[in-house]
Amino acid sequence: MKSNKKYWKGLEELKSSSDFVEKNKNEFAEEIPLEDVLSEGGLNSVTPRRDFLKALGFGLGAVSLAACQTAPIRKSIPYLIKPEEITPGVANYYVSSFHGQSILVKTREGRPIKIEANPAGLFENTGTDAVTQAAVLDLYDVSKLKGPVLNKAEVTWDNMDLYVKGELNKLQASGKKIRLVSATVTSPSTKAVIADFITQFPNTMHVQVDAVSYSGVLQANAASFGKAVLPRYRFDRADVIVSVAADFLGTWIAGEEYSRQYVGNRNSKSLKKGKMSRHIQFETGMSMTGTNADSRIPVKPSEQGPAIIALYNEVTGSTLSGAEGLSANAVANTAIKLAAKELVQARGRALVVCGSNDVSMQTLVNAINSSLGSYGTTIDLDNPHLNYAGNDAVFASFISEMNRGEVGAVFLLNTNPAYSYFNARAFTDALSKVPLRVSFSDREDETASLCNVLAPNSNFLESWGDESAVDGYYTVVQPTINPVFNTRQAEQSLLAWSSNSQKNYYQYVKSYWEKNILPTAGKSWKQLLQTGFAYTGEKPAGTYVFSASLPAIAQTIVTQSKTLAKDIEIHLYQSMSMRDGRYANNAFLQELPDPVSKVTWDNYAAVAPKYAEEQGWSEFDKIEIKGANGHSITLPVLLQPGQARGTISIAVGYGREKPGQIGKVGENAYPFATSTNGSIRFFNTATVTKTGEKYELAQTQTHHSYEGRDIVRETSFASYVKDPHSGTGKHAGGHHEYDLWPEHKKIGHNWVMAIDLNACTGCGACIVACNVENNIPVVGRDEVRNRREMHWLRIDRYYSFKEGEKSVTEEKEIEKLENMDDISVVHQPMLCQHCDHAPCETVCPVIATMHSSDGLNHMAYNRCVGTRYCANNCPYKVRRFNWFNYWNDSRFDNYLNNEFTQLLLNPDVTTRSRGVMEKCSMCIQRIQAGRLKAKLEKRPLVDGEIQMACQQACSANAIIFGDLNDPNSAVSNELRNERTYYVLEEINTQPGVGYQTKVRNVVEA
Amino acid sequence: MRSISLIFRSVVKPFIFVSALSFGVQGYAQDTSAAPAAAGSVAGSATAAVASTASKGDASAGAAIFKQKCTACHALNRNVVGPALKGISERQSEEWLIKWIKNSQALIATGDPDAVKVFNEYNKIVMTPFPELTDGDIINILAYVKEEGDKPATPAAGAAGTAGATGTAIDTGGVSNFMLGGLIVVVIITLLVVLVLNRVISTLNKLLLQKKGVPVEDEKVAEPGEKVYDKLKRLSKNKKLVFFTVLLVTILLGSWSWRTMWNTGVHEGYQPEQPIKYSHQLHAGTLKINCQYCHTGAYKSKNASIPSLNVCMNCHNYVQATEKYNGEISPEIMKIYKALDYDPETKQYGSNTKPIQWVRIHNLPDFAYFNHSQHVSVAGIECQKCHGPIQTMPEVYQYAPLTMKWCINCHRTMEVNAKGNGYYDKLEEVHNLLKQGKKVTPAVLGGIECGKCHY
Repeated sequence: MKSNKKYWKGLEELKSSSDFVEKNKNEFAEEIPLEDVLSEGGLNSVTPRRDFLKALGFGLGAVSLAACQTAPIRKSIPYLIKPEEITPGVANYYVSSFHGQSILVKTREGRPIKIEANPAGLFENTGTDAVTQAAVLDLYDVSKLKGPVLNKAEVTWDNMDLYVKGELNKLQASGKKIRLVSATVTSPSTKAVIADFITQFPNTMHVQVDAVSYSGVLQANAASFGKAVLPRYRFDRADVIVSVAADFLGTWIAGEEYSRQYVGNRNSKSLKKGKMSRHIQFETGMSMTGTNADSRIPVKPSEQGPAIIALYNEVTGSTLSGAEGLSANAVANTAIKLAAKELVQARGRALVVCGSNDVSMQTLVNAINSSLGSYGTTIDLDNPHLNYAGNDAVFASFISEMNRGEVGAVFLLNTNPAYSYFNARAFTDALSKVPLRVSFSDREDETASLCNVLAPNSNFLESWGDESAVDGYYTVVQPTINPVFNTRQAEQSLLAWSSNSQKNYYQYVKSYWEKNILPTAGKSWKQLLQTGFAYTGEKPAGTYVFSASLPAIAQTIVTQSKTLAKDIEIHLYQSMSMRDGRYANNAFLQELPDPVSKVTWDNYAAVAPKYAEEQGWSEFDKIEIKGANGHSITLPVLLQPGQARGTISIAVGYGREKPGQIGKVGENAYPFATSTNGSIRFFNTATVTKTGEKYELAQTQTHHSYEGRDIVRETSFASYVKDPHSGTGKHAGGHHEYDLWPEHKKIGHNWVMAIDLNACTGCGACIVACNVENNIPVVGRDEVRNRREMHWLRIDRYYSFKEGEKSVTEEKEIEKLENMDDISVVHQPMLCQHCDHAPCETVCPVIATMHSSDGLNHMAYNRCVGTRYCANNCPYKVRRFNWFNYWNDSRFDNYLNNEFTQLLLNPDVTTRSRGVMEKCSMCIQRIQAGRLKAKLEKRPLVDGEIQMACQQACSANAIIFGDLNDPNSAVSNELRNERTYYVLEEINTQPGVGYQTKVRNVVEA
Repeated sequence: MRSISLIFRSVVKPFIFVSALSFGVQGYAQDTSAAPAAAGSVAGSATAAVASTASKGDASAGAAIFKQKCTACHALNRNVVGPALKGISERQSEEWLIKWIKNSQALIATGDPDAVKVFNEYNKIVMTPFPELTDGDIINILAYVKEEGDKPATPAAGAAGTAGATGTAIDTGGVSNFMLGGLIVVVIITLLVVLVLNRVISTLNKLLLQKKGVPVEDEKVAEPGEKVYDKLKRLSKNKKLVFFTVLLVTILLGSWSWRTMWNTGVHEGYQPEQPIKYSHQLHAGTLKINCQYCHTGAYKSKNASIPSLNVCMNCHNYVQATEKYNGEISPEIMKIYKALDYDPETKQYGSNTKPIQWVRIHNLPDFAYFNHSQHVSVAGIECQKCHGPIQTMPEVYQYAPLTMKWCINCHRTMEVNAKGNGYYDKLEEVHNLLKQGKKVTPAVLGGIECGKCHY
């Protein structure tokens, strides 16, 4: 049965504002500026006959001269001595590691062009996140330092070594302290190098600091169980998940791994078994995790503590005081009770996580988990994550050391406290008192520009090394290209400065592994370089019982919550693309729309619509937010349904001062963070004044309107169990179909795709993967505002209301809604549907787009004359028009418009030029390459051998591609699933992409 | 421009042929005249060699073995991989040489100082052991070496022997200035002949008419200008003539521009000058080196790829064509060495390398995807099908037009090479078609769809 539920893409669609309606009437937001040309006297002015003839003559002459040109001389320069493993035209893959994940780097003719997950890697290593996909662009960043710099002058490495060694020896003699400050180092070899450095200069200490710190969790686990570790949460073993403000599918600890675990209990395989986990989220701002939750309850930052106390009370039946802080939020109060009931019922298969960096809150969460019997089942303290070990207290004491003038030298590795420390001023002031300031940053960023020695580190794609993000799991970093600039690995520099007997870091890594890791793992170095990782085995997860006294802890929570409960509460979070701000200069990530707000190129103040109405703010109003600590920034308002009222959510990672050429966007929200009880918390209170200005955010969401057609299909888990077809809109008994067009005969393959809406978390890794694979240009903020983003694949986000467990269906009802907070969200990846009866094909006057015999909709760029009829006629709005020559136009300096960055381009895909339509080609270059490989090996094509870029990047395996002519292929199986429906199948476009209904595990009234 | 060069080439080709023939005949004559002299000198030195050496060897038998087994690494007058062999018998005893040749490593292992010295001197390159050679064989080789080495290496003799070869080599090398001059001279002479013959005919006509007693009108052209002008005036009033002329001109111009426009961007016959005068005729034709030896990519990649210089060096490490260049290394081969910064004397590679910048001949536009391996390995198409008689090309030119029409025609007519390829067995309907014995062309499998080549 067709659902009557009303879905809307954004508030402007919901309200049908006149501007929005006007803009959506047309496929293209802006008309071609013909009017301007004509009205600006273009036609009124008289063109003298002589001028006309002159122009005509010149034109003809120029054309004939151009036509006279003989064959252009094109040089073909082979290798002098060809490396044995390289065949021009054939890609090579090398294993490496990024953020502790084993990856495969695709190189062509010696340059890395794409990163994939290493399918052999552990922990179902099937996909990567958006940041990993985009990381390859950082190698080709023109803003990087080109070589070592000493006191603002370029020097050679030898001279720099002499200088630094001299200074270090002087410090050694004077007895001053040396501090090596870094983000968490997970590399065992780097740790060993630092240890060697400390042996040489015993006054050295290694200080680890993370921009987004987890020291609260570490301390809480130390206090509760005597283990200062980040536990490995096992969402795959949890049937009921309650998260208090933890964005565990996105930015929290290990989002990728958790996504895989989480989706494993909710995807079509799990549903077929009749199993689906239940996820309840309490949070302030709408996070990506929140959009995936079955039930999501907005709570203010000041209510998070009381909510945890209340949850503890409900779960254990005790009566800790402090829960009354939640009394104002009736919805949350009821929800806590229900959640506690479900948790208790699922004892041993339940999990509570909390995103706060507060020791007391984390300790209380530990107590809840302990009473639910989660330790040893859904929480593993014995194989912990190692990727965040920063300690806020140690860093604070390091600043006071500098202030006292005790520190003689600071080495800064992978860290940028001058930007990301909440009290950056204290850090920079203190740093200026240190005589030797060495930065390993690859660019002159905020911190590096305060240093007198810049020893640029090589990119990870140019480096040797290793990582260990999970205890016992070691991954190797292998270079895929020689350092492009005159850079040197930080470890190499440290080895040189500490006069280590091993001068070569590669040899150092190799001998470290051969001595410490390889014997246990039973691999040789060569095997390691082929497989990419070594695992010394999982330790059995022990059970832990929480036994500390709680009233004092609860009291701390209450006190802290009370300090937040005034004015407007600010909640800081990491955005999916910018994270802590490290990747600010990555154009792919800047243009990746936020999973929820779909904003690109900016951060903003997310405010609940009703609350904004009360305050008199409307969308895109610029407001000045003045924090309790005096810091003040001005940001545009974004109306975010689902945001807790009385709160503003702001993403950190923006507002970089010196990120490089393109990353100076947004405002820095780090200074709003506060340090409480030795850990940095991302909450504050603020007063807000409206500036009266407007600032239009570049949002992609409502750019491609469906005119209210029935796109998303959704059902509840209970209905699904009753009838798996529920929500698909399928009629019982078929009806007769008539075709206007002859059927396409597909005698070879029939390429189709299946997308599981219940597996898709909306993270956006597929978008970036598609960008990198298909040479899709980055267009910049202004062009996104003009609705001209080029993404072939987008993820549409749909909101729908629930009020009192009843979906709100009619627009009139929606208007009357008191509470606009309780909304549910569906993410839908939308790409060319490769319709068998494609509306675009029939309207192309030059037959530039046509159907292939294997079910694909081809687009011949060179045939396209740019009428844009096809885009107008596409009901899915997936066609993109090249308004500019993005790779050769100085107005788009952000990405493709320079020779160096163009090295990233995939040589198997044409770069499109101005005036040409483009769209998803179903990675036809991959299909052709896969078929050719089978033909060359004279064997049948194996199902799953050809993977789309989006599919390969998807950790959740939400996208499956294959041959429908093969009845046993995975995609055939998926499409036979009862949940399958085709978007707009009622207009008989016969799409090649099937979707599976979104299933929500909600409690039905 | 291109068509002019084509016409020019079509005119020049026969001319080259003729001139090559004539030079060839000359060269043959020189060869035959030089031959007895050379034979004489060989005989003379042979007797001398026999007289001077203690152990006798059959130099001609030695020559055969030498060419078969030794020339890969040794020459008489130059160091190649191993040392120059001229005068080797004076430097080492026959007994030592036999041991060395049979197994040099064994000799080095005994600690023989000479052996160790030679080994170290030549970069510790191990000489291939030849246990299969008998002592007699080795003595024969040495005899040959001695005999050849004792020959006076006079440049004159060498030059005489190679003159013919180099002569033809230059001539077949393409259109030289000499050819151009020659061509112009021939044209002028032809024109002159035509003029003279015309004159003769008219004179004869005149004489004939005089004999018949008809008064000669032509002689009385007092005002020729006016006469011609009148004639033209009369002609221009002839409407039929004007019509046909205009028609003819229109047809000619029209068909010319039609052809030209259709061929815009088609560079069939494009033959740029390459930085090295590499001859496919020699390598692929005469020497019959397999295409895959150099163009390794053609079988496994989209690019056939121009070989890197280390592939050239596999042979040109010792193949230096010195016999053609008067004992010097061929200047073209020297270009390889220069690019690699390789010193043929010391056999050392330097660091001052410069890649060779070949000029691409077959230029497909960027938006057309072509994969060599698909056509060569899967379809089993001969290189010549698209690249023409490459084995006869001293300089490569673009043989095929490389137009889309040309691609599609082939995709429509050629049969898919599905035999024994498991890929096609799995495609059920294709397999059925094949079983029914129907012709399955790439077009049937979608090989002429836009997206198969344009993406």
